[in-house]
Amino acid sequence: MTAPVTVYVPCDSAALSVGADLVAAELEAAGRPIRVVRNGSRGMLWLEPLVEVVTDRGRIGYGPVEPERVGDLVAAGLLDGADHELCQGVVDQLPWLADQTRICFARVGITDPLSPEDYLAHGGMAGLRRALARSGGDVVAEVTESGLRGRGGAGFPAGIKWKTVADTPGPDKFVCCNADEGDSGTFADRMLMEGDPFTLVEGMTIAGYAVGAQEGYIYIRSEYPDAVRTMRKAIEIARAQGWLGGDVLGSGVRFDLHVRVGAGAYICGEETAMLESLEGKRGMVRAKPPIPAITGLFGKPTVVNNVLTLASVPAILADGAPAYQALGVERSRGTQVFQLAGNIARGGVFETAFGLSLRDLVERYGGATRTGRPIRAVQVGGPLGAYVPESGLDLPLEYEAFASAGAMLGHGGIVVFDDTVDMAAMARFAMEFCAEESCGKCTPCRVGAVRGVEVIDRIVAGEDPDGNLALLGDLCELMTDGSLCAMGGLTPMPVRSALLHFPDDFTARH
Amino acid sequence: MQSPQVRLVNEIAVQFHHWAFDDAAEAIAAHIRTFWDPRMRSELLRRVETEPGELDPLALAAARLLDR
Amino acid sequence: MSLLKEHDLGTPAKPGPATVSVEVDGMPVTVPEGTSVMRAAALSGIDVPKLCATDSLEAFGSCRLCLVEIDGRRGTPASCTTPVAEGMKVRTQTPKLEKLRQGVMELYISDHPLDCLTCSANGDCELQDMSGEVGLRQVRYGYDGANHLAEKTDSSNPYFDFEASKCIACSRCVRACGEVQGTFALTIEGRGFESKVSAGGKSFMDSECVSCGACVQACPTATLQEKSVIQLGMPSRSVITTCAYCGVGCSFKAELRGTELVRMVPHKDGGANEGHSCVKGRFAFGYATHPDRVLTPMVRESISDEWRVVDWDTAISYTATRLRGIQARHGTGAIGGITSSRTTNEEVYVVQKMIRAAFGNNNVDTCARVCHSPTGYGLKQTFGTSAGTQDFRSVAKADVIMVIGANPTDGHPVFASRMKRRLREGARLIVVDPRRIDLVRSPHIQAAHHLQLAPGTNVAVVNAMAHVVLTEGLVDQEFVAQRCEDFDGWAEFIARPENSPEAVEELTGVPAEELRAAARLYATGGNGAIYYGLGVTEHSQGSTMVMGMANLAMATGNIGREGVGVNPLRGQNNVQGSCDMGSFPHELPGYRHVSDDAVRAVFEDMWGSSLLPEPGLRIPNMFDAAIEGSFRAIFVQGEDIAQSDPNTKHVTAALRAMELVVVQDLFLNETAKFAHVFLPGTSFLEKDGTFTNAERRINRVRPVMAPKTGKHEWEIVAEIAQAMGYPMRYDHPREIMAEIAALTPTFSGVSFEKLDKLGSVQWPCDEKAPEGTPIMHMDGFVRGKGRFVQTPFVPTRERSTRKFPLILTTGRILSQYNVGAQTRRTQNVAWHPEDVLEIHPHDAEVRGIGDGDEVTLSSRVGATSLRAVLSDRMPVGVVYTTFHHPVTGANVVTTENSDWATNCPEYKVTAVQVGLKHSVAPVERAAEELRVPATVD
Repeated sequence: MTAPVTVYVPCDSAALSVGADLVAAELEAAGRPIRVVRNGSRGMLWLEPLVEVVTDRGRIGYGPVEPERVGDLVAAGLLDGADHELCQGVVDQLPWLADQTRICFARVGITDPLSPEDYLAHGGMAGLRRALARSGGDVVAEVTESGLRGRGGAGFPAGIKWKTVADTPGPDKFVCCNADEGDSGTFADRMLMEGDPFTLVEGMTIAGYAVGAQEGYIYIRSEYPDAVRTMRKAIEIARAQGWLGGDVLGSGVRFDLHVRVGAGAYICGEETAMLESLEGKRGMVRAKPPIPAITGLFGKPTVVNNVLTLASVPAILADGAPAYQALGVERSRGTQVFQLAGNIARGGVFETAFGLSLRDLVERYGGATRTGRPIRAVQVGGPLGAYVPESGLDLPLEYEAFASAGAMLGHGGIVVFDDTVDMAAMARFAMEFCAEESCGKCTPCRVGAVRGVEVIDRIVAGEDPDGNLALLGDLCELMTDGSLCAMGGLTPMPVRSALLHFPDDFTARH
Repeated sequence: MQSPQVRLVNEIAVQFHHWAFDDAAEAIAAHIRTFWDPRMRSELLRRVETEPGELDPLALAAARLLDR
Repeated sequence: MSLLKEHDLGTPAKPGPATVSVEVDGMPVTVPEGTSVMRAAALSGIDVPKLCATDSLEAFGSCRLCLVEIDGRRGTPASCTTPVAEGMKVRTQTPKLEKLRQGVMELYISDHPLDCLTCSANGDCELQDMSGEVGLRQVRYGYDGANHLAEKTDSSNPYFDFEASKCIACSRCVRACGEVQGTFALTIEGRGFESKVSAGGKSFMDSECVSCGACVQACPTATLQEKSVIQLGMPSRSVITTCAYCGVGCSFKAELRGTELVRMVPHKDGGANEGHSCVKGRFAFGYATHPDRVLTPMVRESISDEWRVVDWDTAISYTATRLRGIQARHGTGAIGGITSSRTTNEEVYVVQKMIRAAFGNNNVDTCARVCHSPTGYGLKQTFGTSAGTQDFRSVAKADVIMVIGANPTDGHPVFASRMKRRLREGARLIVVDPRRIDLVRSPHIQAAHHLQLAPGTNVAVVNAMAHVVLTEGLVDQEFVAQRCEDFDGWAEFIARPENSPEAVEELTGVPAEELRAAARLYATGGNGAIYYGLGVTEHSQGSTMVMGMANLAMATGNIGREGVGVNPLRGQNNVQGSCDMGSFPHELPGYRHVSDDAVRAVFEDMWGSSLLPEPGLRIPNMFDAAIEGSFRAIFVQGEDIAQSDPNTKHVTAALRAMELVVVQDLFLNETAKFAHVFLPGTSFLEKDGTFTNAERRINRVRPVMAPKTGKHEWEIVAEIAQAMGYPMRYDHPREIMAEIAALTPTFSGVSFEKLDKLGSVQWPCDEKAPEGTPIMHMDGFVRGKGRFVQTPFVPTRERSTRKFPLILTTGRILSQYNVGAQTRRTQNVAWHPEDVLEIHPHDAEVRGIGDGDEVTLSSRVGATSLRAVLSDRMPVGVVYTTFHHPVTGANVVTTENSDWATNCPEYKVTAVQVGLKHSVAPVERAAEELRVPATVD
């Protein structure tokens, strides 16, 4: 008798939200003995639930599969990779995937996220093994050489941060992973944690070894219950595997991880507010200096990196810094995991080397708007990122190019708007968002954001537009230059970009 | 009613039980000379005569050292 | 002096030498590493605008007014959070900064009531100041936007209001509550524009707030404001003086309008408190002007007569005549007096001088008899002088803090805040106390070891700790060999098996392993510092315990440098001083025995009177002698012995037996019921002189008003002495201090002029140490070598019995002070309207007592009644009460037992029974009717 067919049904919450669990159940009930593997998502969210069947030709994908259609699909030969209107062909060969350079997301969607065997079989732990064979200092040097910059948004070179922590004396140090992924239109952290949690475990362990930390925390937002569950299970498994604990991979190195769950505050994605929250305090921004690398969690030297930063590290160690460094352009090296969202035909995760143009990403891969209407603006880098007008879409996806255009890459979230968008309303929303999510510590952000909403309302209502526009300009300057952290400091970015590119939207409505 | 002086000297004496007897008696006598009003010392000496049985033997010995 | 406003440098000082040179607006300044740009600027004479920064709190960086530009750096960093770097060039005034600061102020004012002219902070408002300073001329946002103007005012605290509509959310109050006070009662609730200061979601009064006032002091606006300021207006002048409550001795700025005291503000330059205070010192001064105060002298022939108001001359000559008459009939030694630890050194000094020189005897004692006399004895025996070894600041260098028989959170709150700060920094804590005091577990603090011993077993515990140190090889051999003597005999004694933790475990109730671990921690954890209170001294072995602690400190080398030491937490403001001033019957000022001919000769020469070489009567001896008939008259300066001394029945019998009782006090207290002369005293607000606190710090007490009685207390005493035929005259208290300095080597460098110049000095202050001595025994002990004294544990005679199966121990609560004479006459009663009996739920259960039930508390000498509170802070078998309210009468039940060496009463161990009140026996009810209370310390 032939072995049962292996069928992949994603367990990523994006897939679950459109019925993946029911799909899996229906498949198992379909009559034929099959082996269902719950994988992460491939990141083609318009195809979820994307069912993959292992065939001689490769993994044949079907999607989006609604649970009620499973019976028909099986009857139509899904389990044999038969053709069907929902059949996407060999998944790996889809242009969307084939054109990506998946380093961080190399295993996401391919493996069973909680299978250590799968992980090892797909190159897992090679980076950590290689790191442990070298000195911590060498590991820091390798990360520095790779050109890896913080993927959380600030783009600070990871190696330099690590070196600061490594060079700060003290018996207690920490590695903290910021998984409080709060930006609108971003979901890569979640998908990685749900789809390949061991990569994060491995990356953090490498960081811990490199800087001399023995303990790490992953701070996950409460809106990600599945990621929390997956990470916790992964940590348990990793401990059982000897990947974590008192003797990591038999090296004698001690490192352990803990998951902490946030409580719904956007500001806790700001690294110092996250540290406060990790310490059990109110999530409020700390003034810097001192920087967390020197005075971080519980006052100890602490590496704070985003999920994607840490998840990029195993590959850098496994394949060497030059391989990573060879990717990208200018001072933006390696890959970034972009997330396409908003009014877009094909949303999802797209990992590529820096340098691709925003237009290519949005139009070629994203398929432009879902409504079919012309693109009017694209917001890059979360709710505090700039609105790029259609005319600016040729901007290369690269830190410095964006900065000089008054924009930012941020965490790689890309939200597309069609020509029906009201940009004054979007500017107002930026202020409103800031007012809603401000920690309340500094005055420009706490009071300024509220006043920002009020001033925009007055402008739109035609009340002394010149005076109020000047006031809004002053307020934006004050928030940018005077705020304590990036929350208040970046809020003017979308406002100013809207004012700059779409001034007509701010004239009075009648 | 027991004389306060007898009660006090007995309380002191018990603190010195671990000492050699003669040293203890001398230390207690010194303590009394340092801290006691003369009328209390006289009263103690009177009690030594009238009710020696009420006194801790060490207290008694110390009190007798006061009697020059 | 006009209203004193200390220059706020914005952020706290950093330790170390000034090594980093920077330029601020072209002005060079050199500061220690780590100093903020803001502080460096302030030191160079340039105050950067600020609202959230104040130099008592760590930089916070929230208001964003203090932005500066730094050459070579991007942006406009906040000067409060940016540390200096060598060669840094800072610009604090540029057009860009001006615009940003105006922008910040514009935002603030867009959400603030515009009632400056009628606001209680008008003239003392940093928000107002900053608006002026940045040149704010318009608020373009208008005043119609979202705001907090409708926020409600919380007036629940009796001393201050929280007017939330004026809050600018700078968090200074929240930070002060945590960083300075260590209570963490305040927080910011909500976020963003909804951020609000909150006392944990409750009213201030219902919250964890201990009303220390640090938040009020920190508030830059009228949001947290003294009710007195709201009612009276801004004060216009300041007088720097010293608190008259506990032995911490906080310095205050008394802020007045004319002679009306508006508020007390802790003085930043105060060595003891460095700008902090507690609810008593800051707020509870109303007793000084309470209608109960007696302001005219009164006399009467018999205690059954009515008081007769007389003028001062009459009162003084009446007193002198009767004292002399009694001496004529009953001998020179038939009279005596008691000095008060509540009065100034100068006032104490003249009383003891009057007794020794005018009365012609040594029958002088002081209320320290009933609190820290064992400290005097024990530390003198071992170290050579009767005083704590450290300054308070030393605790910041301690690594292991051992608190024995003290509850600083309540008893010495301002020192407790310092200690807690150090504990939050990571120092380890050992608590030795029968009760689970707050310190055992409080915000961000947890004791490494709580040795919950049975009351009365201190000596067994300290001996066992020393046993561990000795037998586990943890002795600091070098220190002992070089600095100490009599070690071998002590070592032989302490090593005996009966002193092992295991041997005493059953007796003390402290698990041997826990005790061993604590001893190891103290001996090996770095700087070990012992702080202790009346839970050490008020025992029949109080003196033994003091010596036991001294032994332990010497054996581990924890003496003679910062961060270590053996430190009594003194109860009363001037208990140290009253002892220093020669208040004990056997010692002249400076702890020198009356039998020392050379010393006596110096005094005789100066005083022009011959002095007796024999010790006089101690307080309990006075009572015994009064009952026996040889002691006929007493002068009592500011101590309510009928309330505060043990076995009330015995005390009142002694007072009744006397022919003349002279009471000098603020109020007609319990003792005054037995008095023939009442001489009205002065409150600390009227006094001119010095107090000496628990760290030997001599602080000036300066009058903020003339004596309400028309006479200073020292004048009264001098006039009585004069009237008795002994010439004594001073024109000013500084002359008294000059005389003290001339006679007392350890005070030889002290003068009012020096105190006014330096703020305070810690004795010894002499030629060798002209600016005083913060840490004692640095190079050698006062007595030469530190002496190990063998300290056998002799249990108290007071045992629990079938009839009295529980042990009563006593303590105090933050808001009340001692017998409550002062605090009960303030609004502090809001926190502690009555004394309650804390009883373990198990002990309550078997007696059918529920929480809040009225119960009787009886011992073999008396009974009283009070409300029971069930609490597992107490171990089974031990009950606890405070003694702040006369109606409770705790001393009706305390016994005649006392410390063997000093007769300090054994207040801390009384065998008692507790029962529901309805089951009270007739004889107990009779005793209860005495309704006379409480111990002193």
